[in-house]
Amino acid sequence: MRTKLFLLISVLVLAGLVLGACQPAAPTPEKIIQTVVVEGTPREVVVTATPAPAAAGPKVLRLNMGPGDIPTIDPALATDTSSVQIIEETSVGLTRQNEETAEVLPGMAESWDVVNNEDGTQTVTFKLVTGIPWVRWNGKEVEQVLDCEGNPRYVTAYDFEYGILRTLNPKTASDYAYVLAFAIKGAEDYNAGKTDDPTTVAVKALDEKTLEITFNEQAAYNVNIAGVWVAHAMPKWLIEGDDCTEARGDKWTETGFFQGYGPYTLKEWVHDSYITLVKNPFWPGLPSVPVAKIDEITWTMLDEVPAFAEYEAGNLDVAGVPLADIDRVKADPELSKQLVIGPVMCTYYYGFNTKAKFVDDVRVRRALSMAIDRQSLIDNVLKGGQEPAQWFSRPGLTGAPTPDKYPDLGVKFDPEKAKAELQSYLDEKGLKVSDLDITLMFNTSSGHQKIAEAIQQMWKEYLGLDVKLANQEWKVYLKTIRDPQATPQIFRLGWCQDYPDANNFLREVPTKGGSSNPADGGGFNWENPKFEELVVQAARETDPQKRVDLYAQAEQILVYEDAVMAPIYWYTRVTVTKPYVQRTFSVLGGLEHIEKWDITR
Amino acid sequence: MGRYIARRLIYLLVVLFVVSAITFGLMHAVPGGPFDREKALPPEIIENLNKRYHLDEPLLMQYGRYLYDVFIPRISATPPQGSVDDDFLITVKLGNVWFKWMNFGPTYSSRSRTVNDIFRQQLPVSAQLGIMALLVAIIIGMPLGILAALKQNTIFDYLGMSVAIFGVSVPVIILGPLMIWIFGVTLKWFPPTGWGAKPPFVLGIFPRELGPEFFRYAIMPSVALGLGSSAIIARLTRASLLQTMREDYIRTARAKGLRESLVIVRHALKNSLIPVVTILGPLFAALVTGTFVTEVTFGIPGMGRYFVTSITNRDYPVIMGTILLYALILVIANLVVDIVYAYLDPRIRYD
Repeated sequence: MRTKLFLLISVLVLAGLVLGACQPAAPTPEKIIQTVVVEGTPREVVVTATPAPAAAGPKVLRLNMGPGDIPTIDPALATDTSSVQIIEETSVGLTRQNEETAEVLPGMAESWDVVNNEDGTQTVTFKLVTGIPWVRWNGKEVEQVLDCEGNPRYVTAYDFEYGILRTLNPKTASDYAYVLAFAIKGAEDYNAGKTDDPTTVAVKALDEKTLEITFNEQAAYNVNIAGVWVAHAMPKWLIEGDDCTEARGDKWTETGFFQGYGPYTLKEWVHDSYITLVKNPFWPGLPSVPVAKIDEITWTMLDEVPAFAEYEAGNLDVAGVPLADIDRVKADPELSKQLVIGPVMCTYYYGFNTKAKFVDDVRVRRALSMAIDRQSLIDNVLKGGQEPAQWFSRPGLTGAPTPDKYPDLGVKFDPEKAKAELQSYLDEKGLKVSDLDITLMFNTSSGHQKIAEAIQQMWKEYLGLDVKLANQEWKVYLKTIRDPQATPQIFRLGWCQDYPDANNFLREVPTKGGSSNPADGGGFNWENPKFEELVVQAARETDPQKRVDLYAQAEQILVYEDAVMAPIYWYTRVTVTKPYVQRTFSVLGGLEHIEKWDITR
Repeated sequence: MGRYIARRLIYLLVVLFVVSAITFGLMHAVPGGPFDREKALPPEIIENLNKRYHLDEPLLMQYGRYLYDVFIPRISATPPQGSVDDDFLITVKLGNVWFKWMNFGPTYSSRSRTVNDIFRQQLPVSAQLGIMALLVAIIIGMPLGILAALKQNTIFDYLGMSVAIFGVSVPVIILGPLMIWIFGVTLKWFPPTGWGAKPPFVLGIFPRELGPEFFRYAIMPSVALGLGSSAIIARLTRASLLQTMREDYIRTARAKGLRESLVIVRHALKNSLIPVVTILGPLFAALVTGTFVTEVTFGIPGMGRYFVTSITNRDYPVIMGTILLYALILVIANLVVDIVYAYLDPRIRYD
C-alpha cells in the first residue's frame, strides 16, 4: 500500500517537474510581442515616444460580436446580424445599403434598367462591375483564386445566378430563401420543390456582366431585395468542386477554404472564440464600398459584461454598455465622451389577440395602449435612450413615417383618454373594472419581466386594471402565440428589419398570414381589408412622399383605429468607442460597414 | 477485478442506451421545434429544413437513424467527404478502405459544424479548465479540511470553515466579474477573458503549448471555478476525518504507541478519504464537460454553453450529444471511484 502511495506521490512530483520544465523551455512566442504592441493602450504608445512602430504596424480593430459562435458565414444560410456582418465585409451584393441613411446604392451592379411588363411583373437588368477577383487567405497572405487554366477568377453574373439558385434550392434548406421566393418570379415553386428545374426561376446571367431578374411585383423595393445577402455571388467551384478544386460542401466557409470578394476576407475563424478578417488588397474600391483603411478586424465572442471589462482594460476598441454600467458611464468624464446612443431598426411591441375576451373590443385595446407611459418606461427601466414608439415601422426605414413629420400619428401616452375609452366599454357592457380578467404573456427573460411589471403597474395606476403576467420558455411561447386557441390576450414580440423598407414591417408582420398574424389563426387574429389594400398599394407606389403617406394611413389603422398592437419602443444601441477609432454609426440593426472606418493614433 | 470492470462496462452500454432513449423522447415531447422563430418561417421553408435534417420522418425512424449513425461502425471505400453529414469521430484508414465510427450528427444552429466538431474543439477547452479547477479544489480543499479537523474548535478550524463557507456562498457569477475587475482590469495581472489554447489539440485534449501564456489565461477561471468545489471538499474532509479519529482502530494505533503523525497519515487520513473520493467522481464529470457560467463570465470557448443553448434552441443532435457525453464521463468516473475504494479500504471487494 505504501509503495502505491509513494508511486502516486512521485508521479505527482514528476508531473510538477515536467510542468515546471515546460515554462522556461517554451520560449516566449513571437505572437506575444506582437500582441503587446497591438494591445498596448494608446496612451502607453504615445508616452514611450516610439510612434514609428505603432504607425508602421498593421492597423488592427478589435470588436465584440456577442456571446456564442457565429451561426454561419455562408450567404445562402445566414439569418442573424453577426453572420450578415461578416458576409457583408467578405462579399458585396448587387446593391448595397448606405449604413447611415439606409439608402440603397449600387454595389456589384454599377447600374440597372427597370422594365415593367404587361403581366404585372418587373424585369430588372443589372450591369455588373468587372475585374473584381475572388480571393482567399492562403495562410500567409491574401491571394487571387485561380481557375483550372491558372487565370484569376473574376466575379461574374454567373456567380450571382448560381448564388441565387443555390439559396432557392430546397436541398440547401436556406431559412431566408423565402425573401427571394416571395419576390422573384418562379422562385416560390422551385423552393417549395414543386419543380426540380432551376431554369423556371426568372434569374438569368445573359453574359459575364449582365444579370436579368424578373420580379413578381412592380415594387420599389425590388432592387433592395436583389442586394440581400442570400443573393450574393457564391463560388460554385469551391462548394461543388471542379477539375482543379476539391468540393467543400457546407464546410466551404471554414478557415483555409473560404473564398470571397469583398473589402475584407476571412483569415481565421476559431469557433466560439473569435473571427479575424484581413484586408483584401485586390479590392479595387466601389463608390459605395471603398478600399478598407484598417488592415485587420477581430471580433471576440464575449458576453456584454466581460466585453465591457475588456474595453476598460484596453483590449477592445468598441463595446456595448451593459445596463448596470450605463449610469456610471454617463457620469464618467472620460467614458461619457466615448458613449454614443444610435438608432437600430427594430420595434418592441405588445400584440392583442382581437378574438380573445375583453380585448376583442377596440376600446379596451386602445385604452391599454394609451395607458403605457413609454417615456417613463425608457427613463426608469430601459435606460438605453430608446425612443417611445408611436407606431410599428421604425423611423429610418424607407417609407416609414418619422415623428418630426407626423408628430400626432399613431398612439401616445394619454391616461385621460385611456380611462374614457375603458369607461365607455365598461358602461356599455355593464361591467366593473375588476371584472376584467386579462393576461399578458411574454417569453421568460428578466428584461421582458421588468418591462411587463412596469407596464402592469401603469395599467393599475392609470386604469385601475389588474393584469396578470405569465411567461413561457421561448420556443414554447412561440407555439402558444401562434395557436388559434392558446394565444393569450396580450403577447410580447419584437421585429427587426431584414431589409430597410417599411414593407418589411407592415406587410410581413401584421397582415393576414404575416409573422404575428398567422393565416390559420392565432396571433392578432385580425384582418382589415383596408389595411391590406393600403400596404399593397404602398409597395407599388413609386413617389416616395406618397408612399410614406400610405404607410402612415396603414399605421393609423394598425395602432389606433383597430389598435391590434401597442408599439412600445424603438430600439437603440448604446456603445462606447475608443477615441482613436474613426467610425460611422449604422442604422441597419447593428450591421456596420467597417471598410469606412479608420484608426488614427 | 477484471471481470468486475468488464461487467461495469457492459452496464455502461445499457445506461447509455437508456439515457439516449429517455433524452430523445423528452426532447421531442417538449413543445416547440428548432425552426420556430420570432419571425415565423413560411411552411415551405420549414419543410425544406425538416427534410434536410430528416425531421420529417417518423420519430422511431429518426431514433433508429441516430443510433445507427452513432453506434454502428462503417467500412467505406470512400475517404471522409468533409461534409457536415459525413463526419465521424473516429476514421481510420485500413488498407484501401476507411473505417468510420460515431457520427453524432450536424448542429442546426451552426450550419458548417457538427456535434463532433464541438467535441473536438470545445470539449478539450472545457476539460482543461475542469481539470485545473479540480486540482485547485483538491489543493485548497483537502489541506484546509485536514487542518480544521486536527485543530478542531480552534482558530484554524473556524478560519478554515469560514473560508469554506465563503467559497460555497459566493458563486462564480459574483466572484468572476470581481476577479476580472481586480486582477484583469485594474491590476492587469491576467487577461480579463479568453483562453490560452486553441484547436487543434494534442491527443484531442492537451494544448499545443503549455507555457506561461496558457496559465496566464487559465489561473483566474480555474480559481473561480475551483473555489466553490474546494469548499465542499474541505467540509467533507473535515467531517470524515473527525469521524475516523473516533474509531476504535485509531485508539488501538495510539495505544500501541505509534507516533501521532503516523496515526493520522496511515490510519486516519486514508480511511477518511472514502467520502471525498465518492464526491470527486460526479464533480469531475461536472467540471470537465463544461460549466456555463464560468465559461460565459470569462469568455472561454468551452462546451458549457452548448448544454444550455442546445435545449433553448431545440438543437436535437447537440442535446443528444452533450447528454450522452455527460452520461459516459459520469459512469466512467464513478467506475474509477469504485476501483479506488478497493485500494483505500481493503475490506471492499468486488469479486
